[in-house]
Amino acid sequence: MRPGLKRALQMLLAAAVLAALVAWWLSRPQGLAAADLPRHDPDPRNGEVLFHAGGCASCHGDHLAGGLELATAFGTFRVPNITPDREAGIGGWSALDFVNAMQRGVAPDGRHYYPAFPYTSYARMTLTDLLDLKAWLDTFAPVSGNVAVHDLRFPWNFRRGLGLWKLRYLDDEPVAALAHADARLERGRYLVESVGHCGECHTPRDRFGGLDRSRWLAGGPSPESGPESGSDGAGKVPNLTPHANGLAGWSERQIARYLKTGFTPDYDTVGGSMVKVQENLARLSDSDREAIAAYLKAVSPVP
Amino acid sequence: MVPNGKKSVVLAVLSSFLLPVCSALAAESPQEQRHELMEDVGGGAKTIGKMLEGEEAFDAVAALSALQTWNHAAGVFGDLFPAGSDSGYDTEAKATIWSDRAGFDAALQAWAEAVDAAIAANPQDLGSLEAAAGPVFEKCKACHEDYRVEKE
Repeated sequence: MRPGLKRALQMLLAAAVLAALVAWWLSRPQGLAAADLPRHDPDPRNGEVLFHAGGCASCHGDHLAGGLELATAFGTFRVPNITPDREAGIGGWSALDFVNAMQRGVAPDGRHYYPAFPYTSYARMTLTDLLDLKAWLDTFAPVSGNVAVHDLRFPWNFRRGLGLWKLRYLDDEPVAALAHADARLERGRYLVESVGHCGECHTPRDRFGGLDRSRWLAGGPSPESGPESGSDGAGKVPNLTPHANGLAGWSERQIARYLKTGFTPDYDTVGGSMVKVQENLARLSDSDREAIAAYLKAVSPVP
Repeated sequence: MVPNGKKSVVLAVLSSFLLPVCSALAAESPQEQRHELMEDVGGGAKTIGKMLEGEEAFDAVAALSALQTWNHAAGVFGDLFPAGSDSGYDTEAKATIWSDRAGFDAALQAWAEAVDAAIAANPQDLGSLEAAAGPVFEKCKACHEDYRVEKE
């Protein structure tokens, strides 16, 4: 081999190794440290409110034992057991483990979680709210029984790649810019954008599965659909923005009432996967539902 | 030459005979008939709902009329799901109606009984209307969850 060619190949190899090392370093799981947690006496009653606002039971089940299968374009996700069972659930988790899972999508063993678990929204929750939520989850009865692992297609089954995905799609900044945000609007934004994780279904996703924030809350195809889903959930998720295609015709009062009773302004009833969401939100206070309604009328209208 | 006033009376009388014929013709398939019937039910719900929400004043006659609409619908709705009407015409009927016919009939029966009770209560004020109609609204929601497909 000519010395010039050999040298070029060596440099190419070195560059590839360097790129791999950089990608590996960039994709490392980035959790919080114990020192980042505030001193806080957890309030399980507030945790219960957050539990319903987040609809934890809608995916994890009434007993939180998991098992639900989400058929998506990326493959099938299986919802895990989050009961306080030490072996099958999260009973052995520290407060830090819980916060890292919820805000950073990082498991106690350091692996990345898939964003089917919507930590991309929970990242905006306050640390004290997270500690309160954990205190509420701790009141559940442990249920044994592990849930099977996800069944994903290449390249999505390569977990480490999620570290790069997070660099692009995970942050804790508010999404909607609100011109005159009073306390009620701020509360509405918090409930919708963080714990309520409404955008995870009501905002369309790009081909990498990240939310297209330029179309925030504008609805789109159900994330539970795609070539492999084979589910009848292959419907459309409604536009929640104050556009004619969305909630322009709904008053704040009608939105709040829908969330409480499940009846639309035309007195049709809530349907599909929104039924459980609505029934959870019915357990919030009137003022929280009104805050959600106020926020939805304040975001930018998107066709 | 019929004077204009009389003409409109004649037209009104004629159309009052023709309208039911037209709507019967327009809705021949069971899928369409049950869809229209549900539209009527929704109209009744809107009438009562707006009173309960304080968007419209309480009106005992209008409320009873809405309850009668529900009563009529509840009486005939179950007959509109013959075998073979599980698809077509954009029907939102879920397959479980035919695979779990007993469950569906029980749900319809519960609805009819709640409507009967509401009519028997003969609500004369907002509070009694709420007490009478509330259980019916619950039946709407429960039956839709189990036996209706969510489209869009």
